[in-house]
Amino acid sequence: MIPTHYFLILSAILFSIGVCGVLTRRNGITIFMSIELMVNAVNLTFLAYARQNHSLHGLVFVFFIMAIAAAEAAVGLAIFISLHRHRETIDVDEANLMHW
Amino acid sequence: MFELIIFFFFAVVTIVFALMVILHRNPVVGALSLVASFFALAVMYILLEAPFMAALQVIVYAGAIMVLFLFVIMLLNLQHQAEPPTRPVQQFLGFFLSIAFCLTLLFYIVKAGTIAALPSTPFVSDARAIGYALFEKYIFPFEMVSILLLAAIVGAIVLSQRGVSLDRRPD
Repeated sequence: MIPTHYFLILSAILFSIGVCGVLTRRNGITIFMSIELMVNAVNLTFLAYARQNHSLHGLVFVFFIMAIAAAEAAVGLAIFISLHRHRETIDVDEANLMHW
Repeated sequence: MFELIIFFFFAVVTIVFALMVILHRNPVVGALSLVASFFALAVMYILLEAPFMAALQVIVYAGAIMVLFLFVIMLLNLQHQAEPPTRPVQQFLGFFLSIAFCLTLLFYIVKAGTIAALPSTPFVSDARAIGYALFEKYIFPFEMVSILLLAAIVGAIVLSQRGVSLDRRPD
């Protein structure tokens, strides 16, 4: 049996990689993929604690998080398609429509 | 012992491919690396005695969501578009802050140490148990998520159809 904190350390590293991607990249789709990495790190934490506490609530939460990540990916990618149609780029620095 | 070897091997695979996602210039390579990373994470879920979640991870994440990403990358023809590098100060601050964040998290996890001994009885988390939990205790959030998905479908169609004006001026 692998101790829980090994999984927590892996999850922390994955989450930080996702944070780094969001902070340093300009390509909108890569930023989205970094967000997916962070979501998966959180899922790993939920599952690690679900096993630790023998509770099904963590698994149900992971189920809901997956559904919400799917919805988020669909809407976000639709926004990028729309942005690309108007600006010919998905560089997030160019998306300054709501910038005053 | 054997479990530990599997854990460390796939942990390294997960981290290496996750780094590929954020460091590689080409978004297609990034998306495929993310698929590989999710497969390695599914192995982690099996080690955590959640085989149903591992199946969902492969089917929903590596299958459906990443195909959507790849589809959009191909549709927008982004694999040939060179991404201009971010400003050096942003690069430095991003890497510095995320490494500091990582070290802080690791410090507190290691400081807390082993949380508690794992229960010796096996953890029953098959599809049957999750199904009972979903349709009895969590029936209301389940229905809410279905409505959310419907709203996301409608939103995605409306946003990506032609003739939606992002510009402020009417023309």
